Amino acid sequence: MTTLPSLSSSSALSLSSSPLFSRPHLSATSSSSIRTPLFRTPKTELCTTNAKKKNPWLDPFDYGDDPEMEGGSLFSEGKQEEDPRPPDNPGNPYGFLKFPKGYNVEIASLGLMLRGDVRRCCCVISGGVYENLLFFPAIQLLKDRYPGVEIDVLANARGKQCYEINKNVRFADVYDTDDPFPIPAEYTDMIGLLKGRYYDLVLSTTLAGLGHAAFLSMTSARSTASYVYPNVNAAGAGLLLTETFTPETLNLSEGGYHMYHEMLDWLARPARNVPRQTIPPLRVSLSRKLKEFVEAKYKKSGVEKGKFVVIHGIESDSAASMQSKGDADSLLSIHMWAEIAKSIRGANPLFVIPHEKEREEVEEAVGADANIVFITTPGQLAALINDSVGVVATNTAAIQLAHARDKPSVALFSSEEKGRLFVPDAKEKKCVLVSSKTGKLSDIDLGAVKDAAQALEGSMALV
Amino acid sequence: MANTIMGFTMPRTGLHHMPLHNGISYANDFPDMSFHGSSSFSWGNMGGFQVEMKKKKRELVMTHAFPDWPHLNLIAVLVQHVDSQRDIEFITNKTIWHLSDTAIKNVYAFYIMFTVWGCCVFGSTKDPFYDGEQYRKDGGDGTGHWIYDKQEDMEAEARAELWREELIEEIEQKVGGLRELEEAGKKTEELVK
Repeated sequence: MTTLPSLSSSSALSLSSSPLFSRPHLSATSSSSIRTPLFRTPKTELCTTNAKKKNPWLDPFDYGDDPEMEGGSLFSEGKQEEDPRPPDNPGNPYGFLKFPKGYNVEIASLGLMLRGDVRRCCCVISGGVYENLLFFPAIQLLKDRYPGVEIDVLANARGKQCYEINKNVRFADVYDTDDPFPIPAEYTDMIGLLKGRYYDLVLSTTLAGLGHAAFLSMTSARSTASYVYPNVNAAGAGLLLTETFTPETLNLSEGGYHMYHEMLDWLARPARNVPRQTIPPLRVSLSRKLKEFVEAKYKKSGVEKGKFVVIHGIESDSAASMQSKGDADSLLSIHMWAEIAKSIRGANPLFVIPHEKEREEVEEAVGADANIVFITTPGQLAALINDSVGVVATNTAAIQLAHARDKPSVALFSSEEKGRLFVPDAKEKKCVLVSSKTGKLSDIDLGAVKDAAQALEGSMALV
Repeated sequence: MANTIMGFTMPRTGLHHMPLHNGISYANDFPDMSFHGSSSFSWGNMGGFQVEMKKKKRELVMTHAFPDWPHLNLIAVLVQHVDSQRDIEFITNKTIWHLSDTAIKNVYAFYIMFTVWGCCVFGSTKDPFYDGEQYRKDGGDGTGHWIYDKQEDMEAEARAELWREELIEEIEQKVGGLRELEEAGKKTEELVK
């Protein structure tokens, strides 16, 4: 064994020293040095497939772009068009043959392959209401980057409810990707469903191992991009995915407002003749129907439009409390809320309860004349916040919804770091952060909260 | 050949030997039940019966096209001699039903098949969902899947409507002149509808 390295090195020496073997090597270098000035920027580059990872096992014959390949200008740069159908020509005998949008079969593949068009995109989103709400900027970004894209969403039953207030989504389906043992019938049914929709791009925020990567790749989408486990569990996932994102921790939600920044960076990447996209802010849109429904609801509980402050984040074991998975300590007991509510004078505090069983406790703590409204869905909460003067809440979806509707808010956090994570640039968002000194939300300084709430009243007087 | 068959018949001879002494013995009235096809009885060791039984042997060699379904009962013949009355014999015939393994299997197989068929048929006739308004009303294609598709389409339509509303709002904000534009917006909405 010890003789082997010396043998090989000597043979290599002899090879390089012999004129026979050194010649092709020389010619190779010379030819490449001649060719380099001729290299043009490769026009026919696919959408960064395998760009990040140079794993020779993925494709042993992947030598990069072919320098001699020439691409035309058609469908090779810029953004895709919203509707690439040619105009109908009534004089043409075939002019009345109308394909649906995105289905003009003769030229569709050009854009899809050369420019990396995305006609149909599926977002598989893990987590509850909060996580889905924070994914809205990504959806808007997709819509901006790929005009005319049809975006579908796969989320769990709680998360799906968010898409009542998102105008950019076509179908939202319920499927829990966090379930370690999905029912086989549901699993196969969902794969069939996704396969039948012919997606070009599948994004997933579920931390993927081999299993989830297989699920994604079985949709037979052109490209699949997913978060992967930051540890050994990611083994094998990269083989089945086009692009992988590795988060810092196992819990993606701990990243706060920018929890999807790796994915957003990739989605906003510059392409040929397309500059880097700016990441849009979180926005929600409310339908007239929803507004009317919620208006009737809060009027029933005894408050008037524009004259109440929404209080959200009452401690409850309900699944509808809309906390982030990255901040477990984000609910305050009703007694503390009652204390805070006393200081709000200018407007009626409106308590949002996530479950009917909390109603009695609120009435006990605040008084029988307390204004209580029972709301579980983010859509209704958003409509409620839209008609309010402001929000006082702990770290729940209510805070993000207040920002999305440009309402002033007071946010109570268990620590300052959490506050900075979940509400970056709070001043721009008209948000006052109040955080506990000890790291426990229950130890929060009520005096500071009351001052902030009064400041909220001051701002509402200005409004 | 006779010798080989002898081996078969040996344990049986006792059964077919008509008893002349008192006591109980059994006669099987379906001797060929367990010897289908090749069954033949050699009565060679039975002396006087030999000639008569050779005739019978030929009959028994014949194979049976049909299964011996009716031969299911086993007859016990009870011959009792009472010492005091020498001439009179009390003969009692007892029959019991006896099924072979195959027959039992067939019966059970039929029973299971009938039960399954019955469950399917009578179960399907009493399905409240299948007979209900939800499944049977106009608009379904009879598969049941349309319910969910319809729900999805409704949601998608609601979002499209939301998108249009937002667009109109944006236009209103940009241009100003709210009232005129509201009317225009209503018109476009109607047109879109």
